[in-house]
Amino acid sequence: MLARVAANFYWMGRYLERTGQTVRLVRYPLDHLVDRTVEEIAVGWEVVYRTLGQPPPGAVGGSGDGEAFLMTDAYTLAGSLIEEASNPDSILSCWSTARENARQVRPHLPLPVWTSLNQGYLWMRESDLPAAWAKGPAALVGEASDRLRHLAGTMDGLMYRDDGWRFFSLGSFVERVQHQAALLGAWIALGRGGADLPWADLLRICGAYDVYSRRYSMEVRQEQVVAFLVRDPELPRSLRFALHFIEETLAGIDPAGARYPLAPPHRMALRLAAALEVETLDGSPDGDPDRFFRSIGGECRKLHDLVMTAYVDFPLSEGALP
Amino acid sequence: MTAPESSRDGSSGDASPFARYDFDPTFYDEMFDEAGSPRESCRQMRDALAGLAPEDLARLQDSVYRRFLHQGITFTVLGEDEVTERIIPLDFVPRVLTGAEWDHIERGLKQRLAALNLFLKDVYHEGRCLRDGVVPLDLVLGCPQYRMEMRGVKVPHDVYVAICGTDLVRTHDGFAVLEDNLRVPSGVSYMLGCRDAVKGAFPQLYRKHRVREVSDYSQRLYSILASLSPSMRTPRIAILTPGLYNSAYYEHALLAGEMGVELVEGQDLAVRDGVLHARTTAGLQRIDVIYRRVDDDFLDPVTFRPDSVLGSPGMFHAYRAGNFVLANAPGTGVGDDKGLYAYVPRIIRYFLDEEPILRNVETHLCREPEGLSYTLDHLDELVVKEVGGSGGYGMLVGPHASAAERAEFAGRLRADPSNFISQPTLALSRAPCFVGGGIEPRHVDLRPFVLQGRDRQEVVPGGLCRVALRRGSLVVNSSQGGGCKDLWVLDE
Repeated sequence: MLARVAANFYWMGRYLERTGQTVRLVRYPLDHLVDRTVEEIAVGWEVVYRTLGQPPPGAVGGSGDGEAFLMTDAYTLAGSLIEEASNPDSILSCWSTARENARQVRPHLPLPVWTSLNQGYLWMRESDLPAAWAKGPAALVGEASDRLRHLAGTMDGLMYRDDGWRFFSLGSFVERVQHQAALLGAWIALGRGGADLPWADLLRICGAYDVYSRRYSMEVRQEQVVAFLVRDPELPRSLRFALHFIEETLAGIDPAGARYPLAPPHRMALRLAAALEVETLDGSPDGDPDRFFRSIGGECRKLHDLVMTAYVDFPLSEGALP
Repeated sequence: MTAPESSRDGSSGDASPFARYDFDPTFYDEMFDEAGSPRESCRQMRDALAGLAPEDLARLQDSVYRRFLHQGITFTVLGEDEVTERIIPLDFVPRVLTGAEWDHIERGLKQRLAALNLFLKDVYHEGRCLRDGVVPLDLVLGCPQYRMEMRGVKVPHDVYVAICGTDLVRTHDGFAVLEDNLRVPSGVSYMLGCRDAVKGAFPQLYRKHRVREVSDYSQRLYSILASLSPSMRTPRIAILTPGLYNSAYYEHALLAGEMGVELVEGQDLAVRDGVLHARTTAGLQRIDVIYRRVDDDFLDPVTFRPDSVLGSPGMFHAYRAGNFVLANAPGTGVGDDKGLYAYVPRIIRYFLDEEPILRNVETHLCREPEGLSYTLDHLDELVVKEVGGSGGYGMLVGPHASAAERAEFAGRLRADPSNFISQPTLALSRAPCFVGGGIEPRHVDLRPFVLQGRDRQEVVPGGLCRVALRRGSLVVNSSQGGGCKDLWVLDE
């Protein structure tokens, strides 16, 4: 596969994953917190913005303290993350960038995949946020979520499982690990700061509440939630699941025996997975999960660089000839 | 200037979609004969359209528009501040040709391309036709598209032009060639897109008409390109695109996808030891055939424009060495120069010893004193074109120009006469189009695509049918308000 095409599949995966994450995050205060107090809703928005590493819109000097979220209305907070073209993490921006990446790989995409992605983007671009807000603040992100699921299903059903799919999946899961680590870190840090954050809400954001109830009980306990979201091998949004998937995908790109020693990104993925196994993550005051999740995010950035160096931006030398 | 029979036959009354059809026997009408009666090949189509309510027509137009929109069948427009994607206006009413009409066109196109390939080989090698005075020497050597770098280069199987798009117009005198496009002709994706969209909108009517298929164009193209490969193994073929912001990017992506070949940019290519490679995740991989959609100037910064980033350094060297094939070959533009166009009938007679099957449009060469004089004397009747112009730019449509515009153009003509040709203003044929809620006639042309392989020629029975959507306009270029429609060639 062309290196440039692989890079575009990878970025397409990252941006579509990011689109979905922003949709899920924005739904949290708009959908799940409608019956909560103003203070609780403000904390909800703080989780969202901290996870994305952004101050609230209009914050002076990049200030992102709790007060700022109390002072800013939900429409502004949501609008910045939904349709603000200058915000690179907004749903519109991410969808648009994913579409640009998809245009670069169009010859490799089944027509229904491209059409679904393109229709979603056109719908988002033409959406009228004030009108949608009048119907219900969560209506727009609700439909965005449906359209993303439709796209994911179409891709899953139709994409050929070659390197294009592998690089797409790799991008998705690298993005997922970074995002989940940021979300867990933000949640724990805010909780330690005195915010009253129900752990069940974290499970709902991750689409894991029902599964947790079956796996453990309806009585939600902090240490079990953290362990579940970090180490469960079956949960698609757990760090362990994502890292295992990354490791398997890298093995598919460089099949066993094709490269020895293992390619640098492959070794890095294995090292990250091992780190998850040994770290103490009970969320207790004695541990330092916040630091751990930050370090996971940093390691993922390194993993990203290694992927680019190994498969995209490698130097051309005689050795590059097959 | 009366409404045709279809709007007067009493079956549809004033509500007929053809009620505003401005039938004018001055122009050949693709659907109605001189008496205003539907041509036999168009009767079913006319009847089907006449039976539709305005809201049905609007729904059909909307359905084909949405298909283009959702599938992203767009062309890119580079503005000063932004890049926008636009959908080419698509008219859902197909133009119909009989099988016999098409067969005549096909024979003429094949003959023309065969002669032009022989001409190109000759002007880059022996130059017999120049010595024999068939074509003026200075016209060829003075043409900016003549590439000295190609002199003496052995082109695989002597196929200089593997993909040709020839623009045809129809008048009361029949079909005529308006120009040949031998460099990087585009528009075939609209042929395929129009067919899909219109077939989807009119499935029953399509079936009844027994229309010849165009959907195998990509297979034919692949087979033609593969036949040119210098390699004995399964060839590695790629399409070279200038990139996402090229106006025809959609077409490049579509063809690459349908043929299952890579769509490469200059940055994806590297030349090592005189061999062209693509940069893949597994290292460099050899390329055998490049279907290039990049102009000559930008193919190789070492040989052509040094500031080009669209090609690959050393590519021309690898090409000269015969290590891969470029389709089309560099330097083919000398064969579609508007000045050379006037000589194509002579070229056909000289190289093939045959009479041209498709006629040329009468052309006056302003480089010749008589041609210049005639052009200046008849500016209000003629269309004057720059020999290197395209896209409908740099031309004067005399009858539609103001006196001041004609005077300004006359100055340009006198200053650089060899840069211009003139032709009579053609009464381009008109075809029914859906405009403003009803069916009205609009001027059309046709660009069929001819493929030349190692030992055979292929023509898909269809083409890009362009339409001047503005009432009375003769300019069909998409950059100037033109649209496109499907062409149905009937299998009789």
